[in-house]
Amino acid sequence: MSLLEVKNLKVHFPVKHGLFSRVKASVKAVDDVSFSIGPGETLGLVGESGCGKTTLGRAIVKLVEPTSGSVVFAERDIAKLSGRELRGVRRGLQMIFQDPVGSLNPRMTVEEIVGEALDIHKLAGDPATRRNRIRELLKSVGLNETHAERYPHEFSGGQRQRIGIARALAVEPELIVCDEPVSALDVSVQAQIINLLQDLQQERGLAYLFVAHDLAVVKHISHRVMVMYLGKVVEIGPAKAVVEEPKHPYTQALISAVPVVDPDSKRQRIVLPGDVPSPINPPSGCPFHPRCPIAQDICKVDLPPLREITPGHYAACHFAK
Amino acid sequence: MSNLLEIKNLQLEFGSGTNAVRVVDGVSLSIRAGETVCLVGESGCGKSVTALSIAKLIPTPPAHYVGGEIFLNGVDVLQMSKKSLREIRGGVVSYVFQEPSASLNPVFRVGRQIKESLKLHRPTFATDAEVIRLLKLVGIPAPESRINDYPFQMSGGMQQRIMIAMALASEPKLLVADEPTTALDVTIQAQILELLIDLKKRLGMSILLITHNLGIVGDIADRVAVMYAGQIVELSPALDLLRRPLHPYTKALMNSVPQIKGGPQRLQAIAGSVPPPGNYPPGCRFFPRCPTAQPQCEKTMPQLLEVEPNRWVRSLYVKP
Repeated sequence: MSLLEVKNLKVHFPVKHGLFSRVKASVKAVDDVSFSIGPGETLGLVGESGCGKTTLGRAIVKLVEPTSGSVVFAERDIAKLSGRELRGVRRGLQMIFQDPVGSLNPRMTVEEIVGEALDIHKLAGDPATRRNRIRELLKSVGLNETHAERYPHEFSGGQRQRIGIARALAVEPELIVCDEPVSALDVSVQAQIINLLQDLQQERGLAYLFVAHDLAVVKHISHRVMVMYLGKVVEIGPAKAVVEEPKHPYTQALISAVPVVDPDSKRQRIVLPGDVPSPINPPSGCPFHPRCPIAQDICKVDLPPLREITPGHYAACHFAK
Repeated sequence: MSNLLEIKNLQLEFGSGTNAVRVVDGVSLSIRAGETVCLVGESGCGKSVTALSIAKLIPTPPAHYVGGEIFLNGVDVLQMSKKSLREIRGGVVSYVFQEPSASLNPVFRVGRQIKESLKLHRPTFATDAEVIRLLKLVGIPAPESRINDYPFQMSGGMQQRIMIAMALASEPKLLVADEPTTALDVTIQAQILELLIDLKKRLGMSILLITHNLGIVGDIADRVAVMYAGQIVELSPALDLLRRPLHPYTKALMNSVPQIKGGPQRLQAIAGSVPPPGNYPPGCRFFPRCPTAQPQCEKTMPQLLEVEPNRWVRSLYVKP
């Protein structure tokens, strides 16, 4: 039984142009994506900028409106809900953002920021319980009680990210969408936040959708990894299998391009030619074919479906074995 | 004098009087002709300020050079007149910055922006032909049509190639690249890194590469300097440092980054966060976060000492 079930999700943004803002084209940010996340599982989502990974994360918590498809969380289709019903479901579904400065209100104290989540979902109870609950939450993310009275600007980047995590935890969610939660942090602080997220998962049985562009981080924290290119899923499978035996040529190139500290590791960097094409006019057939080192004629015409290559490991390539 | 660049005991403060904050404290670094040196450190450690000082690009005030010398080609940059500074900036030493879209002028065509550098430093070569040659050098396809593009018509990777072409236009002896790949995607990062490695081989210039990513050090650097809180804490040949880091900070930094080939074991995070400039501990600056700290470290500031041939470490407990 999966916690989140996404089916054929599409998010298209209209591109308006000219007189009367006619819709000329659309950016297919997320194009026909299906996957699921089980309870207590971490699904890593990687891809380069513009591949639709952030939009996908936002569509799941319904911060952007899906164009079509369904997002079933706890047996309810979020894509069709609104208003009070949506708020009810969202209690189980929270989000942590990339930029801890931009996502915390500078004029609210930490107590107000974390408490607001409790108030909205009417979980606070009387003032004394509310106070205690907030202190408890701060402690669970490695901050202490004295921090409650302070404002976001008094904290370092890593501490601010902890506040964002405490706010997400306040309503006791089952799934947290983490949108690049460590990308804006210093290298030495990244590990603290990664460890914290893993500890919280163990204690509370949380599930994560962990969106990031750093493959090494994603592999470290995820049970399964999903790779996106131009709005489509090109590969999904167990983290170890995707990183150690990638089936899709794009994943292979992506992994070979990750800088490695060990100078003695033998590796051949696959340098892809060109840039990611525009998602307004994606290439015909397989969207990766113009940059693919093994592309054949069929790739220009036929869009390869996601195929199960080995048990639980899917890739969208005509030639994956 | 065999060193192209020789920074000696550089000390730089922002602000004055009691508000002065020392952001670079006694940095000494040299680069030989044709050598690539990486300067590694986290944000706020003073690596960019050190690099910008090479062409005295930090405005004074608010900055004050409290002490030290920077010899570029045998001349002290800090004592130069404004006129000579103008000649070396973009001439002997060229810069490539992190965010290409912020460095390029959005209202001029890229060809014209590259030509501007040629006009200043190699006026006889300020021609379309030379611009096209430079664009070819940095791997821009169909350069004849690209010289009339505006920056917004290009992708981030292409824009960074334009920045590199512009930096190379004056045939600099030293290229300073300040996090040139940080703003780019992984696959584009790999392209730019390959380009720098290739240019280094073909043109034989010196490169000072600033990065926070130890992963790219092994690919390009001959030597590495690791900075922490305004000081160099370890200076070593690149491969030696990556194989066997000596300073506790370098070790901790390497252990805290997940590796693509690594197992699922817990990351060894470094406790606390980087101290803000002006609020450094009196003894060893890494003392509050160091896993192997001793009582002595709190009071005594360690010196950067050569503990093995060519390997310099600032620690009380790493001894020759």
